[in-house]
Amino acid sequence: MENKVLRGKAWVFGDDIDTDLIYHNKYLAETDPKKMPQYSFEYLPGKENFAKEVKEGDFVVAGTNFGCGSSREHAVYCLKYAGVPVILAESFSRIYYRNAINNGYPVLFVKGLSQAIKDGKIKDGDDLEVDLEKGEIRDLTNGNSFHGDAVADLEMDIMKAGGLIEYLKEKAVSK
Amino acid sequence: MGKTMIEKIIRRAAGREVKVGERVWCRMDLSTARDFGGANCVLQFEEVTDKKGKVWDPDKVAFTFDLQAPSHSEKVSTNQKIIREFAKKQGIKKVFDVDWGIGQHVLLENGLVKPGDVILGTDSHMNLLGAVGAFATGVGNTDIVASWFEGTNWFRVPETMKITVNGKFAKGVCMRDLLTHIVGTLGADGMFFLSTEFYGDTIERSSLSERITLCSMVTEMSGKIGLIMPNGKVLDWLVERAGDEVLDRVKTLAADKDAVYCQELEFNVDNLEPMTSCPDAPDNVKKVREVAGEHVDQVHIGSCSNGRFEDISAAFEVLKKANSRVAPGMRAIITPATREVMLQCAEAGYIQKFLEAGVIFTNPTCALCTAEHYGALPSGDVGMSTTNRNFIGKVGKGSHTYLASPMTAMATAIRGKITDPRDILG
Repeated sequence: MENKVLRGKAWVFGDDIDTDLIYHNKYLAETDPKKMPQYSFEYLPGKENFAKEVKEGDFVVAGTNFGCGSSREHAVYCLKYAGVPVILAESFSRIYYRNAINNGYPVLFVKGLSQAIKDGKIKDGDDLEVDLEKGEIRDLTNGNSFHGDAVADLEMDIMKAGGLIEYLKEKAVSK
Repeated sequence: MGKTMIEKIIRRAAGREVKVGERVWCRMDLSTARDFGGANCVLQFEEVTDKKGKVWDPDKVAFTFDLQAPSHSEKVSTNQKIIREFAKKQGIKKVFDVDWGIGQHVLLENGLVKPGDVILGTDSHMNLLGAVGAFATGVGNTDIVASWFEGTNWFRVPETMKITVNGKFAKGVCMRDLLTHIVGTLGADGMFFLSTEFYGDTIERSSLSERITLCSMVTEMSGKIGLIMPNGKVLDWLVERAGDEVLDRVKTLAADKDAVYCQELEFNVDNLEPMTSCPDAPDNVKKVREVAGEHVDQVHIGSCSNGRFEDISAAFEVLKKANSRVAPGMRAIITPATREVMLQCAEAGYIQKFLEAGVIFTNPTCALCTAEHYGALPSGDVGMSTTNRNFIGKVGKGSHTYLASPMTAMATAIRGKITDPRDILG
């Protein structure tokens, strides 16, 4: 992973954002990951414009259990290829978490984020600065700051390799 | 220190001792994909292996076509064809095409699932196979592709929750109501990353279809797997399908008496009432009585959670007792989980009776859990279904869904508004 400080706007979501809300089952027949961003959050009331308005570098900010529901990897691709550099959430659903790691797609676990979202301490459109390496998140709009933990253990090794397939290929070569 | 079921299952799959919290590479017993996700797996596998890759063991790879079966669009037809051709090229014989039904159920009926098996699939409800003590889990396409290289993938050995259920369901109340109650009590992340073992006299007496219902909804609490070691009639059924090895597995993989659990919960079902997950989340739970009379436009009985013969029989009993038909203006749809279940329904004479009562009886498929096949709801409509998720718009943008048991769903179809099945069954 690159060690750099990222800047972008926040797109803020609540708890238990299900995969049908991130990437609806209507579009499951799509097999080209790069075509998936156009459908992001289409079925989530209030976020229907995400796909049109999201800018490369914007952040997805969410509460607990982000990505619960289906196993579709589409729900990771649609944000990755929209240019969202990292997802910040209090916690991620199990399969979503695996799918992100498997694609070398960074996620940060941010303690207290669910409540901060409910309390309006981080809002849609806020300017954020995220230091991926240190896990420091600053809301430049209101001065609030948060700390996020990156993945650890084997997951970090998979992330460093760039994803599960790349990790296994490296492992096969080093045998 | 004793071991839980998942610790023993992962120990078997890893071929070494394991500890909770550890990341472990496991051998797969089966790595499967559906028509949904399957084409993505095939295309990715071909890309990363320059079309030269061979799956590690063609006998341990299976495809099930269930999400849109039969296909409703050219795109889906193309995806299904991509899978068929890959299977042919790779010598994969376990292809359960659009005529078979819902994948995990088909695998189970065909004797491909044993207690302790480690199974992957592109279906977040793969884990209903925990109903026979298998560790099956839903994953994305990359995990499937990775497992096809050498037949391995990694897992974190999870902590285990123990749930004990005692008591007898009253008339009109069933396992689905218990599950809805548990989801309401624990919440959408109440089993976060955990394995859960189910015990108690209610579980020991329960049928395979009840166990499937129970284990399927572990996903809706963000659990990893719900496990029940087969006993009694379930064990007999499984041995008949999957062979005598099942007996050894049951002996060696049952949890130790002194296994360590991270949490222990008890439920008693004696006084449980029919329950429903209200719009728009599975954990938004109320008693059916509290929302009785609410308008519903469409009822759907089926899915991997409640699409077995026993579920459809329960709905049939409500219809029979009501001696009535589907309410005017109501659309009622029943979808058996598999062809085997559909044949059972045909032999029992249910299909004719349901059709006479105004029910639409479909082929086995997952289709009614999506907005991209028959039964999609228009904006503003309210559905009641025995499926497992009811986030807003799941089966049609702007639509809402109540989740409930087959009995509650049938009672609602007959009366045209949310109805406690005890009002009909007495």
